[in-house]
Amino acid sequence: METQRLLKESQIMKIHYITGIAAIFVVAVHILMRLVVPFESSLNYDYIIANYKNIFYVLILESILVLISIHGFNGMRVILLELRQNTAWEKVITVITISSMIALIAYGTRTIILANGM
Amino acid sequence: MAEIDRPIRNNFEGLRGWLKPSGYGWERVSYWFQRLTGVFLLIYFIGHIYETSTIVNGLNAWESFLELTQTVWGHLFLIAVIGASTFHSANGIRLIFTHVGIGLGTPGRPDYPYNPSSLNYRQKSGIWIALILSAAAMYYGFNVLFGE
Repeated sequence: METQRLLKESQIMKIHYITGIAAIFVVAVHILMRLVVPFESSLNYDYIIANYKNIFYVLILESILVLISIHGFNGMRVILLELRQNTAWEKVITVITISSMIALIAYGTRTIILANGM
Repeated sequence: MAEIDRPIRNNFEGLRGWLKPSGYGWERVSYWFQRLTGVFLLIYFIGHIYETSTIVNGLNAWESFLELTQTVWGHLFLIAVIGASTFHSANGIRLIFTHVGIGLGTPGRPDYPYNPSSLNYRQKSGIWIALILSAAAMYYGFNVLFGE
């Protein structure tokens, strides 16, 4: 019997590609923010806190967090599904990757919110 | 509808098969690198999220964590991250093009030695471009991290 699915695999791959392409752009902005000042200065505590207070940069950081988490954990899911194919394995891998993705996004968002309020 | 009984595959290679980069040409090397860099970058990303979270514990926590990462080995690790991310991005774009049919060539009559038209010079040059861009990015990263 066909298992009910929220998204088709072709739709998931489209999401994978879109998040990958979008991540290239936002990560490029993130790296540029490190390179506009000497590298050592870019790691200065006050500079980093000032970055977290810039709403534009906060949105970039949150986008990176969400896009790479979706892309990365879906990539991991694809790799693990290549190793073994059965319904139980697929369900377990999907639950583990989605839970890990949500946990990482929540943890990263917590850092952004706390640093923004410092 | 009756389910089709599928025979158990005895040729299942598992993790060893996945980790084998050779035997199938450059496309296999690219497949292997794409997955290897992907897993490496995900591990780095999780570590980076944890590393940056130390800033919420104040200046001392942030600086003591920097002492761990701002070392020669830490910089060499960052250069590996730069190379892996550049290769993964450039090769990923090639794969998206391939998935939508760009660069696959036109189908032809299967003549000896039966080289598939899809595994053509466009695909191979895409892999080489990804490797060259990766090397250039690592060189740039080396100059930024060790050039001061």
